[in-house]
Amino acid sequence: MTALWRSFRRSVDIYAALGAMAAKARLAYNWWVWADFVMTIVSMIVFVYFWRAVYAGTASLGGLALTQTITYILLARILAPLIETRMIFSFGYMIRTGQVAVEMTRPVDPQLRISVESLAEAGVFLVQRLPIFLIAWGFFGLALPADPALWVVFLVSLLLGLGVILLFDWCFACLAFYVTETWGLSVVRIAVAAFFGGTLVPLAMMPDWLQSLAVAMPFAQGLAVPISFLSGMASLADAPRVWLVQLAWIVGLLVASRLIFSVAVRKVTVQGG
Amino acid sequence: MAVIQVEDLSKVFQIPLKEPGLKGAVKALFAPKYEPRVAVDGVDFSVERGEVVGYIGVNGAGKSTTIKMLTGILLPSRGSVRVLGRDPHRERVANAREIGVVFGQRTQLWWDLAFIESLSLVARIYEVPKQRYAELLDQFSELLDLGELLHVPIRSMSLGQKMRAELAATLIHEPQVVYLDEPTIGLDLIVKDRIRGFIKEQNHAKGTTVILTTHDLGDIEELCQRVLMIDAGKIIYDGPISAIKDRFGKHRVINFETLQAASHLSLPAGAEVAGAEPGKLSVRFDRTRTTASQVAAALMSQVEVKDFSLSEPDLASIVKQIYGGALKDGMQ
Repeated sequence: MTALWRSFRRSVDIYAALGAMAAKARLAYNWWVWADFVMTIVSMIVFVYFWRAVYAGTASLGGLALTQTITYILLARILAPLIETRMIFSFGYMIRTGQVAVEMTRPVDPQLRISVESLAEAGVFLVQRLPIFLIAWGFFGLALPADPALWVVFLVSLLLGLGVILLFDWCFACLAFYVTETWGLSVVRIAVAAFFGGTLVPLAMMPDWLQSLAVAMPFAQGLAVPISFLSGMASLADAPRVWLVQLAWIVGLLVASRLIFSVAVRKVTVQGG
Repeated sequence: MAVIQVEDLSKVFQIPLKEPGLKGAVKALFAPKYEPRVAVDGVDFSVERGEVVGYIGVNGAGKSTTIKMLTGILLPSRGSVRVLGRDPHRERVANAREIGVVFGQRTQLWWDLAFIESLSLVARIYEVPKQRYAELLDQFSELLDLGELLHVPIRSMSLGQKMRAELAATLIHEPQVVYLDEPTIGLDLIVKDRIRGFIKEQNHAKGTTVILTTHDLGDIEELCQRVLMIDAGKIIYDGPISAIKDRFGKHRVINFETLQAASHLSLPAGAEVAGAEPGKLSVRFDRTRTTASQVAAALMSQVEVKDFSLSEPDLASIVKQIYGGALKDGMQ
């Protein structure tokens, strides 16, 4: 038992170091943070005016009031980059350039490493997003709940949702072993996720058949589900059910991702040689 | 004890065949056709602890594919590899802890971070104790002259600086087996020298086993007691470097500077004129049949000689002969 505990402690130490490094590397790109800042503000302005115009003649759409929709959309704008992981693109890059060779000579599990690094980057991202959050709250009518329990439920759900997205992307990224060209894959994935993940239009406004399609996909778990707690679309009582659904996605995708990777990795043909 | 044991190792790649044009692309999408290409074909060898082995061959001969199977990156199509008693593909993580790999054209360091940060992260991944890390950092800094590089991010390093950094990062966990895939590619002589010195020192001091692929015969001459030569996926020579030199270096050339034109020279048996132009004459001779002094004496008795020099056979010309098929045509 102590041996097992020791090896667990060692792993935690190694992956924590990798995560910290990923966070640091992300901080190295300061100019990008500023560019992103400006773009997000602009897109928030566009979305707020758009939705105000849509609500001009009506008080409720798909059961949502204007303030709910605005809050939901602003949160979606602020957090959307979280579900646009670069995993597919970087996977393809790794395979095309042969960098995968270096990856495989390290004594770490590549999936765990990339997941830990992505989560660390997500943490940095959330902190960097704080000013935008405050601007949205101060100027664009972001209405947030006062109950701290809702925030805890939201954060847990967001973490679980990120897990779902990372696992899904890992499975999808394994296609890179077969097609080597991943730019197209990556574009398709981001577009589909934006629509069915509810970052453009709240899922509640979609026709029933489209909603059930969206629920059958993992993308809503990453964003729409967690922010529904902050925008008043879901209540504390929904939390256990939501978490369970997210956990089920995680377990299913975890099994699938391990299987898919172990098959796909046999396909490795490193360039040169 | 054999550190690396390779038996009947083979790798066959399936290369997709595509017909040209849009029609071909569509066809390949629905009914892809593959053509097998044998990259490594029934290779056998073993390497003992502390050996430095040069693995050479022309581009596409199968060098890198072999290295990738040894390091666990590629799964062999046939045959077996054991490194320190393990199957490197199946026990990839355990194997990775014991080995170090440098790919001359890639980097294992974090592009945007100062080198010292990358290095300390690598040390943490490989669980190098803190004190040992500090000792090695001192040693490596001196041997590889890393001092001013420690705070430079990898992306702003020159090729030579990058390679020195790579080597330090590869050896910081004191691996038992090190694979160096073209470690001196594109480097200047001074950096090459430093890198060779470093590899030699690690091999002597720690008994590190080294497998080195290179096109630079200077690397081989400096570092390797033993050479494995691969051609078209098969090992065509496995033995000491000196044996190759003896076998293929039996011809020497003497270059004469002459004061008059020479014609109808009579030379000892086994010697022949290899090149003649006004004022210059080179004579090639077989060392086993005559000697340099006999050739020189014979020539000097017929022509006035201003100066002459004897050129040593270098490995480059020998390898050129071997790659050209000399080994297959009758040496074995």
